[in-house]
Amino acid sequence: MLIFSVFKTLTDQRVTVELKNDLSITGTLKSVDQFLNIRLDNIKVLDEARHPHMMAVKNCFIRGSVVRYVQLPAEHVDTQLLEDATRREAAAQNKR
Amino acid sequence: MDASSNGIQEPFDLIRLSLSERVFVKLRGDRELTGVLHAYDGHMNLILSDVEETIMIVDHVEGAPEGHATVNIAKRKMEMLFVRGDGVILVSPPSRT
Amino acid sequence: MAGLQPYVDHRVLLILQDGRAIVGTMAGYDQKSNVVLSDSKERVYSIEEGVEEIPLGLYLVKGDQIVLIGELDEATDKAVDLSTIRAEPLPPIRY
Repeated sequence: MLIFSVFKTLTDQRVTVELKNDLSITGTLKSVDQFLNIRLDNIKVLDEARHPHMMAVKNCFIRGSVVRYVQLPAEHVDTQLLEDATRREAAAQNKR
Repeated sequence: MDASSNGIQEPFDLIRLSLSERVFVKLRGDRELTGVLHAYDGHMNLILSDVEETIMIVDHVEGAPEGHATVNIAKRKMEMLFVRGDGVILVSPPSRT
Repeated sequence: MAGLQPYVDHRVLLILQDGRAIVGTMAGYDQKSNVVLSDSKERVYSIEEGVEEIPLGLYLVKGDQIVLIGELDEATDKAVDLSTIRAEPLPPIRY
């Protein structure tokens, strides 16, 4: 839930999603769901010469399970807030 | 030192105590990361900053005897990174010497 | 669900776990993101020759096989001469 919330705060920011087939796609984060499926707008594939497959694709839906990394805009991530929220969630888990 | 005296009772406690510290992460696909840990969850999804990734690319030379593969190492840096938990093999806290 | 509704009745590109690329019109989907495409074709990429399009017609793709669904800009897509495109097929997903 924590990570889902983080992604929601990054809506409309530019992110780069790296998939488990080594494709890297940069785009504007339009929406995310509980499975961390991601919708990107105005996409650009890294190394388009090698990967021309998505030339005519403007926006896309990416299945959460095929994501390896997402590069986030550091200036929009409050690391102190993240650490506090992570500790809170860990404490709540332990009580259960 | 007694493990229970520093608040470590279960594996995830070790990760919790590494928050805001530099950790080493081993991933599937011969990848390793070091970075400062800012968030994690029960799936071992991670958010790290100031990340350096190391990828080991093993080239198996055709017809070469066993153990004669050449290993190339590629490195790159990323400012802020979400890592999906299903690729994580281990998270190791910083060495305290 | 991040939502596939915007793609219904649009030309889309599906990338599958095994690396295949399929284009078609999204006729429908369900909550497991199973997708039905009409007038679909597989685009086979290779280094030796241009892209080959294999007609598949009405096609059901299981949700768990889907890596990515992209909305095709039809004008851009039609402007591309596929016979001039040479590229390695996309690698399969490796966990």
